Amino acid sequence: MAYSDKVIDHFNNPRNMGSFKKDEEGVGTGMVGAPECGDVMKLQIKVQNDTIVDAKFKTFGCGSAIASSSLATEWLKGKTVEEAQKIKNTDIVQELNLPPVKIHCSVLAEDAIKAALADYQKKADGALTDAK
Amino acid sequence: MYHHTHSTVGPRELPMARSMCWHCQSEVAGEYFCERCVKVQPVSKDLDYFTCLGFPRRLTIDQHQLETKFYELSRAFHPDFYQNKSAAEQTISLGNSAMLNIAYRTLRDPIERAEYLLDLEAGSVKEIRNSPPADLFEEILELQDTLSEYRAAGHASETESTLRAKLQSERNTLEQRQREMEATLQQLFVQWDTLQDRGEATDQARTERDRILKQMRENLSNRTYVKNIVSDLASTIG
Repeated sequence: MAYSDKVIDHFNNPRNMGSFKKDEEGVGTGMVGAPECGDVMKLQIKVQNDTIVDAKFKTFGCGSAIASSSLATEWLKGKTVEEAQKIKNTDIVQELNLPPVKIHCSVLAEDAIKAALADYQKKADGALTDAK
Repeated sequence: MYHHTHSTVGPRELPMARSMCWHCQSEVAGEYFCERCVKVQPVSKDLDYFTCLGFPRRLTIDQHQLETKFYELSRAFHPDFYQNKSAAEQTISLGNSAMLNIAYRTLRDPIERAEYLLDLEAGSVKEIRNSPPADLFEEILELQDTLSEYRAAGHASETESTLRAKLQSERNTLEQRQREMEATLQQLFVQWDTLQDRGEATDQARTERDRILKQMRENLSNRTYVKNIVSDLASTIG
C-alpha cells in the first residue's frame, strides 16, 4: 500500500507539532489512543473569544495518524468552537485519500478534536462557575 | 462440570446450524455428523470458536488438547475427503474447514483468545472501553521527544551518550512493566476461569465478572501501547 502524496507531505513536514501548557488559559487538551494499533495522539487547541487561534499536536503512530492530526490542527486554526465540532473523520479521509485500512487513523483524529473541545469547554465552564 | 450461564447444553451437545439433518431430515443430536445417514452437518456461523472446538469459555486452555481436537476435526471436515461426495457436502466441508481454521488460530494464541473472549462477553459490560490511560500517553509522547532528540544529536557527542543512558533506563523500566502486566494478565485469566467454574448467578458474581473483563480490556490495550514504544526504543538504541 502506498501513502498518498498529501500523507507523505504531512508526514515529512508536520504542521503545528508541539504542545501548549495544559493549564494555560483557553487551552483544551485531547488525548486519545487506539488500543488496536497502539497509536497515541495528543491534540491541543488555544481558544480566544470563541475562536481557535492556535492548535498543536503530538502523535506517536503511523504516517496516516501523524498526517491526520497534522491536517486536523491546520483545519482547526481560525475556526470557531462551534465550527470545529463539525469536522468529521470522513473529511480527513477524503482530503488525505486514506485507504480503508487507515480510516481508523482519521477516526482517532476526530476523537482527539472532540476531546480537546470537550476539555476546553469543561475548563471554560469551570472558570465561569468560579467567577460567580 | 461445565456451567454455561447462557445455555443449558453440555459440551457434547453442540448447538449446530440446524437440529435437523439437511439430508435425511432426522434429528441431529448436536455433533458434526448425522447419526443416521452419516452426512456432515454445517457448523453454524453464529457458533463461537470455543464451542466450535468443543471447549468451554475459559482462558486457560490445554494447548495439546486443543491441537488434538483441531486435528481430529480437520480430518473430519477436510475437503479432500469430500471430493466424491455431493456438491452440498463439499460446500459444507469447505465452510466448516474455514471456520475451524480461524477458530483454532484464534484460540491457540493466549492474547487473541482473550481479545476474542472480550468481544464475545463485552456486549453486556458497561463502559468496557475504559478512559484512555492519560499518564501512559504522556509518558509515551515524552519518550518520543527524547527519542527524536537522540536521533538528532551529533554522533558520539556527549548529548548522545547522556540521552542514550536515559533511554536505556526508560527501556528497562518499561520492560519491567511489561513483565508485571503479563503476570497480571495471567492472574486475570485464572480469576475468570475460577469464576466461570463456580457458575454462580449472583449480583456479586456479576460485579466480579465485569471487573475482570474491564481490567482485562485495560491490560490488553495498554499492552499494545507499551509494546510499540518498547520496540521503538529497541530499534533506536539497539
